[in-house]
Amino acid sequence: MSSDLAVKTREPDPLPPEKAPFFSRPSGKIFLIWLAMTVVGVLIGFYAPHHLLPTMLSVEGRAVWATVVLLTVLAAPVAAFVYGVGFYSLVAWRQRGYGQSDEPPPDGPPLRGNSGLTILWLVVSGVLVVVMLVWGLAELASENATHPNSLQVDVTGQQWLWTFSYPGAGNLETRSLVLPDNRTIVFHVTSEDVTHGFWPVELGVQVDANPNVVTTIQATTNKLGAFTVRCSQLCGLYHSFMYASGAVVTPQAFAVWLHAHGASALTASDVARVSSSS
Amino acid sequence: MTTAAAPALLEDTQLSSRAGGLYRHQNIVTGLIGGIGLGAIGWALSHQFLQGSNWGTDMVVTVTMAGWVIGLLLGIGAFNAPVLWMLGHDQTHEDELYLAGVGQGPRRYWKFCTDHKVVGVQYLIAVFTIFGVGGTLAMMIRTQLVSAHSSFLGANAYNAIVSVHGMAMIVATIIMVTGPFGNFIVPIMVGAKDMAFPRLNALSFWLLFAAVPPLLATFVLGGVDAGWTTYAPLSVQAPPAMDAFAITILTFAVSVTLSGINIIVTVLTMRAEGMTLNRLPIFTWGAVIGSALGLYAMPAFMVGMVMMITDRVSGTSFFVAAVGGSGWLWENIFWIMGHPEVYVILIPPVAAMLEVVSTFARKPIFAYKVTVGAFIAIIALSIMVWAHHMFTTGWAPDLNGPFMLTTELISIPTGIIFLCVIGTLWRGSIWTRLPMYWAYLFLWNFIIGGVTGIYLSDVPADNYFHGDMFVTAHFHYTLLGGAMIAAVAAFCYWFPKVSGRMLNERIGKVAFWMVAIGIQITYFGMFWEGFEGMPRRVAYYDPIFLHANQMATVGAYLLMAGFVVLLYAIIHSWVHGRPAPANPWHAKSLEWMVPTPVPLENFLVEPVVTADPYGYGEPEPAAPAAEPEREPVPVGSAETTAGEPV
Ligand SMILES: [Cu+2]
Repeated sequence: MSSDLAVKTREPDPLPPEKAPFFSRPSGKIFLIWLAMTVVGVLIGFYAPHHLLPTMLSVEGRAVWATVVLLTVLAAPVAAFVYGVGFYSLVAWRQRGYGQSDEPPPDGPPLRGNSGLTILWLVVSGVLVVVMLVWGLAELASENATHPNSLQVDVTGQQWLWTFSYPGAGNLETRSLVLPDNRTIVFHVTSEDVTHGFWPVELGVQVDANPNVVTTIQATTNKLGAFTVRCSQLCGLYHSFMYASGAVVTPQAFAVWLHAHGASALTASDVARVSSSS
Repeated sequence: MTTAAAPALLEDTQLSSRAGGLYRHQNIVTGLIGGIGLGAIGWALSHQFLQGSNWGTDMVVTVTMAGWVIGLLLGIGAFNAPVLWMLGHDQTHEDELYLAGVGQGPRRYWKFCTDHKVVGVQYLIAVFTIFGVGGTLAMMIRTQLVSAHSSFLGANAYNAIVSVHGMAMIVATIIMVTGPFGNFIVPIMVGAKDMAFPRLNALSFWLLFAAVPPLLATFVLGGVDAGWTTYAPLSVQAPPAMDAFAITILTFAVSVTLSGINIIVTVLTMRAEGMTLNRLPIFTWGAVIGSALGLYAMPAFMVGMVMMITDRVSGTSFFVAAVGGSGWLWENIFWIMGHPEVYVILIPPVAAMLEVVSTFARKPIFAYKVTVGAFIAIIALSIMVWAHHMFTTGWAPDLNGPFMLTTELISIPTGIIFLCVIGTLWRGSIWTRLPMYWAYLFLWNFIIGGVTGIYLSDVPADNYFHGDMFVTAHFHYTLLGGAMIAAVAAFCYWFPKVSGRMLNERIGKVAFWMVAIGIQITYFGMFWEGFEGMPRRVAYYDPIFLHANQMATVGAYLLMAGFVVLLYAIIHSWVHGRPAPANPWHAKSLEWMVPTPVPLENFLVEPVVTADPYGYGEPEPAAPAAEPEREPVPVGSAETTAGEPV
């Protein structure tokens, strides 16, 4: 129990005098750590979504990217500050020689709080929340805005496949989702059996497919490319295999595709109406 | 309550050979006999009379499992006293001492024991066991996912394992701190002799014990294929395993409710003289606030599961849209329980970890009152955020804005916790013993969990990440990396008091580094999967996700190995460890002022509190938290150095 380390008086306060240059004081050093970690955090914020998210094919998908970047940039200084103070304390004020000791190091200073700092902390986090919220609400509003000349696609989930139909084109039914570029697509989603999650991954939107109700979600395509429709809600045995392929194609190619798949049932004007963006 | 003639130590009382009555013959064995017996009777009767009906098998499973729970409680003696009361008798003081374990040695851990310290240790063993089950299932999940189309598990077994892994971990994390330490430590911390309702306390543990076997029985009853969230109508159509799952949750919810009431009443009514609310150790606040939130959350779970059972056994259709119900009703009930439940899990371990930070920084808790206020603000807000789990369900798109507001507001009080931690660390005399290692790991992980939670709270980003592995990684960072690591910090902190031994820190630190690195590898792998767009709960996946999954699996093996090493350190230390002094950390709260092992009814002299337990670095008179002039009497056991005067 007894230890010769049992020094009961705290060593001279490790804080240099107030007149010391800023960067040799703890606050100055923490500022530098904070700055470096913030920069790293912001770089991660740009790198991770850019390199890890798939190539997005819609306005909403682009908003996912922008939201992740913005929120990382907002969060990075806060996280860097917490890490900076926490780990600076560990490095600078760790009481060496006590790691194995049964005697505690001498007590630290009895700082029980600082109302100015607490209020500042609350104000900063409040401001960050307001920024996040305004951004989120604005994005939400633009994603829910109605667009003229949108294309309706009906989506039906069942264990364990997706069916897509194009009501404007004689209810043409397909197993893969082909969409024209530069067009707002309104998905009307339902299920034949249990709850599924309709998730066209590269369009950056999703909504559950529920039995006996129709849910809607819209996405505005803005880039050509292939995408995958996945199921995002556990739906039983072969949930893993519930996916479909999709593609965003030019309006001309879309018209051709409609013809190829349902030409007999469609009139030329039907196809022209469904496949053209205004 | 105790008579003046009582000897120095209550547990040395000589009881007559009739003390305890029937209870003398009851223990876990009679409990198991009762449970299996009544379960079998329930099975036989329901099989005879109900099997033919439309929902026969579901009825049989429900009745059998309910029989198991009630039979176990009857067999272990949980209802002895109520039955006596109904017959117009009462238990004598001697009976109550017997019930508290007097004269039974280690056998009392296998009985319906009312001593809060015995219940605490029982909870501790139960938590380890359930974590062992949940962790093993997690390893099976990660092994399946090491390749894109592994044949290790079938699709049905995979879904069953995912469901039970989720539920087992939720059960274990809800009780991991309030069970062991809410029972063992809280009464001593506030200066009480026991919990307010010792019989209910024992009942809450044995209800938990009864709840676990039905959960494991799901594997032989067809498996729950709907995940731990059991979204309807899939769960309504699920195999009979779902009935056993529902009985588990009902039983567990009753257990949590009883335990929560007990903790709240104990702290509110049984504090020692001078233990004002301003002097309450912050862990006590956390245990009370978390338990209070549990009282809000658990009824929703019970109501939901009762409706689920009636949907399955009697053809009501609360959750079946095809016949007039709504799956969204289930989702709402579930998340009205489910989001508060996250904070039921989180707040007690975080508060316990703040005790660790204060003790090992040798500084008072920074902004104590603001932090307690933040806990209260968190639980107030947490009952208004549930629909953020339903942003993409299509249930009420118009409510996405309001729920985004409440969800993001909750990050303000949560941020206060960080202020409290770093404010306490600032200029502290950091004493790098094992509990502090885990507290730092909490700080590291919980920031990552918090930041990634912000993405999910913002609807435009959630529209992508919902239901994918990003969510899985996020909540594992908060619940494993945050809550569970904080609970490990608390465990290492109180281990000497609970076991009477010092934890082997050399092995403990090996475990620490394995766990710390394992968490980062595992869940960064899962974040990567989530960014790439891999859905949750899939047994087979697109090979584009292969590398991220392999990373997560490697990390998960390291993580599990770390916990196994930690378990080895714990068992080794519990058996062979250095005997612990009464106050190894030189802390100031009351649980360190009593001898180790803690005597029955805890205090040899009733404590009088004159200050809060955080007087580090303050002038001496204000420092001692405990009573004046008390000479702790060493406890008879030769292997302890108990009663070290403080
Ligand atoms: Cu599905």
